[in-house]
Amino acid sequence: MKRLALGTSALALMACFSGLAMADEHVTAWRLFVSDHAEPVVHVIDAVEGETLATFDIKGPASLYRSDSGEAVYAVQGDADVVTAIKTGIAFHDHGDHADIDVEDPALTGAEIMGDYPVHFVEHDGHWATFFDKEGVARIFSERDALAGHAETREVDSGAPHHGVVVSYGNYDLVSEPHPEDPSNLPIGIKTLGRDGNQVGDLAECPDLHGEAASGNVLAFACATGLLVVTSGSGGAPSIEHLAYADTLPEGKSTTLIGGRGLQYFLGNYGADAVVLIDPSEENAFRRVELPTRRVHFAVDPVRARFAYVFTEDGRLHQLDVIGGEITKSLALTEPYSMDGHWSDPRPRIAVAGEHVVVTDPLAGKLHLVDAVTFEEDGEIDVEGTPFNIVAVGGTGTAHGHAEREEHDHGHEGDAHDHAHSHDHDDQIYQGYFEDDQVKERGLSDWAGDWQSVYPYLQDGTLDPVMAHKAEHGDKSADEYRAYYEIGYRTDAGRIAIDGDTVTFYEQGEPIEARYASDGYEILTYEKGNRGVRFIFEKTGGDEAAPRYIQFSDHKIAPEAADHYHLYWGDDRAALLEELTNWPTYYPSSLSAEEIVAEMMAH
Amino acid sequence: MNRFSRLTFACSVISFGVLSGAVAQENRLQVVATFSIIGDLARQVGGERIELKTLVGPNGDAHVYEPKPADAIALARADVVLVNGLLFEGFLSRLVEASGTAAPIVELTQGIDILEDPAGGHYHFVNGEAVFHAAPNDPHAWQSVVNAKLYVENIAEAFCAADAGGCADYQANAAVYFDELTALDEEVRQAIAAIPEDKRVVVVAHHAFRYFEDAYGITFLSPQGVSTESEASAADVAGLVREVRERRASAVFAENISDARLVEQIAAEAGLTLGGTLFSDALSGPEGPASTYVDLIRANVATITSAVTAD
Repeated sequence: MKRLALGTSALALMACFSGLAMADEHVTAWRLFVSDHAEPVVHVIDAVEGETLATFDIKGPASLYRSDSGEAVYAVQGDADVVTAIKTGIAFHDHGDHADIDVEDPALTGAEIMGDYPVHFVEHDGHWATFFDKEGVARIFSERDALAGHAETREVDSGAPHHGVVVSYGNYDLVSEPHPEDPSNLPIGIKTLGRDGNQVGDLAECPDLHGEAASGNVLAFACATGLLVVTSGSGGAPSIEHLAYADTLPEGKSTTLIGGRGLQYFLGNYGADAVVLIDPSEENAFRRVELPTRRVHFAVDPVRARFAYVFTEDGRLHQLDVIGGEITKSLALTEPYSMDGHWSDPRPRIAVAGEHVVVTDPLAGKLHLVDAVTFEEDGEIDVEGTPFNIVAVGGTGTAHGHAEREEHDHGHEGDAHDHAHSHDHDDQIYQGYFEDDQVKERGLSDWAGDWQSVYPYLQDGTLDPVMAHKAEHGDKSADEYRAYYEIGYRTDAGRIAIDGDTVTFYEQGEPIEARYASDGYEILTYEKGNRGVRFIFEKTGGDEAAPRYIQFSDHKIAPEAADHYHLYWGDDRAALLEELTNWPTYYPSSLSAEEIVAEMMAH
Repeated sequence: MNRFSRLTFACSVISFGVLSGAVAQENRLQVVATFSIIGDLARQVGGERIELKTLVGPNGDAHVYEPKPADAIALARADVVLVNGLLFEGFLSRLVEASGTAAPIVELTQGIDILEDPAGGHYHFVNGEAVFHAAPNDPHAWQSVVNAKLYVENIAEAFCAADAGGCADYQANAAVYFDELTALDEEVRQAIAAIPEDKRVVVVAHHAFRYFEDAYGITFLSPQGVSTESEASAADVAGLVREVRERRASAVFAENISDARLVEQIAAEAGLTLGGTLFSDALSGPEGPASTYVDLIRANVATITSAVTAD
C-alpha cells in the first residue's frame, strides 16, 4: 500500500482550506482495468504512473464493469459462465465539503457469481443483477458483499432463457419479458415483480428491448419504439413511462445506452453512424448527432460532465459536447478498425481517467492517452496481448495525515495515506478474504495445549445467548442457528491435548494418541465466495484408532497461536477437504463456559 | 481551495451582459435561480425586466437534484446565477463547471448570521431512504423572514451590477417587497406569540427549520444520527419518540419535498396525528397554498398554529 500511495504521486500537494489541516493533502489516484480479447486476464494499471500494478488471472475473456462507487470492478466472463469481483483499492468517503480518499492494493475479492452465460449486468443502488441468458435467470448481489468476498445471491426468474436483463429496484425487480413465440428474439417489454415474485401492474411494452443505462436517479431501457424511462414513484415503486422517438428522427433505434454522470442525460447509438443525446425531462428529448463514419464505441466523461467521446472506425476519437449537441474536436489515434466483420472482433474501447481519455488499441497492443483538455495524444502504455475492454476508477480526495492512524496500520511509516482502511486486514482474513501469497506454513505448535469441545455447551443450552445474538445480526432465527451449529459442532471427542508432535483425543474420556507431522495446507473456496485455509498434519505413528489426517481451520493463514479452532479428522485427505458441514470446534480447556460465550459473542 | 471560495471569487466578477434601457423580450436580464424559493424572490425584485429560469421546481428537493443538459445551457446563457450557497445545492459546482458560464454566481446567504449545525449536517428522506446532507453551516436561512430580506437586498445588488440601466426599477421593487416582508415577519411573531408556550415543540423529519426556530421560538425535533445507508433504524426512531414524549411535542409534520412515511411512523408511535405538511425547501405548485415565498411562510405558520392548538 505504501508503494501505491507514493506511486500515485502526481499528488497535487495543495494546502487544504481546513483549519485542522495538519498534514492533509489532496491525493489523485486513477486506475485502469483492462481485459484481453482472448486471454483470461485483467490488468490493473496506474493511470498516473503508467505502471502495471497487478494482473489477475480469471476464467475467461471478460467484459468489464465499474461500480458507481468505483470501489469494485466486475469481470463478466460470458463464455466461462462466471462474474468475478475485483476490489479496485480506491475508495472515497464523502464529507460534503470534501471527500476522503483511501488507496490500497487492488485484489480479487474471492466473490464469484456463477451461472450459464452471463451477459447483461446492471447496478442499481449498490445491487448488481447478473442476467444469465441460457438460464433466463438473474442473480442479484450487493456490492458490499462482493467487496467482502462473499456474494450471496438472490434469484429472479424471467420465465425463459433469453437475451434479457434484470434491474434490482429497491423492493422490486424490473425483469425483461421474453418474446412469447420465440425467446431467441429480443424481449418485448419490462415487467415489475415484487419480492414475492408476483407481477405488479402491467407489462411496460418495449419491443426489441436491448440496452439499458442509469443516469443519476433515472433508468432507461432502449426499445424499437423509444425508451422506457424509469423513475421512483410512490412508495419507492418504479414508475415506467414510454418516451417515443421523436418524429424528426430518421428511421432507427438505440440498442446501446449510457448514462451521463454529473449531468442527467442518456447517450445512445442511433443507426451505425449517429448517436442520440436524450434528456427525458425536455420537450425535445432527442438530439441526433451525426458521425463522420461508423461508430465503434462511446463513453461519457465523468469528470468533465459537458463531454462524451465517440470512437469511429476510421481510427478517430471525437469529443462530443453534450450541451451544444455537436462534435467539437476530433483526433486521429489508431489504424482504421472497420465495423465490417463480427460485432465482437477486437476494436478500441474508451475510458476516462482523470485528465486523460484512454483508448485501447487491441491490434497494436497498447493504450492511447489523450489529454482531455487539449485533446492531443499525451502518451501510450504498452499492454501485452490484445487489450480490449477498459474501465477506469479514481479521482482526487483528501488524505488526512492526522490521528486516524491506528494500531492496525501495518507499520507504513511515513505513508502519506494514514486514513487507510488497511486496519481491516485481520478482520478480512477472518472473514475469508486474502491473497494466496499471504498464506504461510504453520507448525503443530500453533495449536499446542489442552482443548475442550464446545459441543456439550450447545447441547446444554449454555450457548443459547450466542445463538440469539447471531439471530439479531444474521439472516436465521436462533433455532435455525442452533440447528446449524448442532451439525457443525457435533463430535464425540470432548477433549484434545496437543503437546509437541503428539495429539491425544479423548472420546468418552478414553485417550487415543498419535504423532503427526505437517502435510502442508490447502486453500478452499466456499460457496459463499469466501475462502479458508486447512493446515494438514499426517500421522507418523501411534494408536491404530487415531485418524491418519487431521486438518486445522482457525481463520488464521500464517504462523500464530490459535485461540480456538475447527478440527477435521479422518483417513482420506481429499474427502476431508470436502467436509464443510461438520467442524468440531475447540476452545482452551482453561476457559469457563461463560468465557467461551463471551468470546463467541465478540465475533 | 474549496469550491465555495472559488464561487465567491466568481461573485466579484461583473458580467458584461449590459442591456440597453428599453427591455425588449430578448433583451431581458437572463437570470437563473437554483430553486423555487429563490426564484420567487428574484421575480419580486426583477419583475418583467428579467427572464427567469428556475432549476429545481415546486416541491423539488435541491439536495438530490440531478442537473440536466438544459440547465447547463441556461447557465451558459445567464447574466446572473442566484444560489443559496452553504452547500445547499449539491449539484452546483459540477453544473457551473459543465456550463462554462461566465455569469456571476451570487450566493444569497452572504451577510446573513449563519447558524452552525452541531451535527455537521442533517438528513433528507428520499423514497424512504435517509440521505445525510453534510453541511456544517445550516443552509435553510430563508425560513426566517428577516433573512429573506437580506436575500432580497443581495438580489437587487446583483441585478444592479449586471444591469445598471434597470437598477432603479430593481431597487424600487425590492423596497416594496422589503416592506411586505417586514409586515410578514411581524405577522409571524404575533401568530407564534398566540400559541401557548407549552405547545411550541413540534416534530419534522428533515431539520430545515432551525432558522424559524431561532427567529420565532418554535422548537423542531427531528431524527438525529440515523443511518446514512438505510432507512432510519428502529432504534433511532425510538429515541426520537422518547424525546417527543418527554418534551410533550404537540404535532408531527410532513414536508412537501419528501414522502411522509417516516413521519407517519413517528406520529403513530408517539400517539400523535400528522399535523399537516410544512413547506421546507421548495414552494408548492401554482395551484398550491405556497406558490410564493410569502404564502409559504403564511401556510407554514397556519399549519403549525392549527395543528398545535387543535385538541
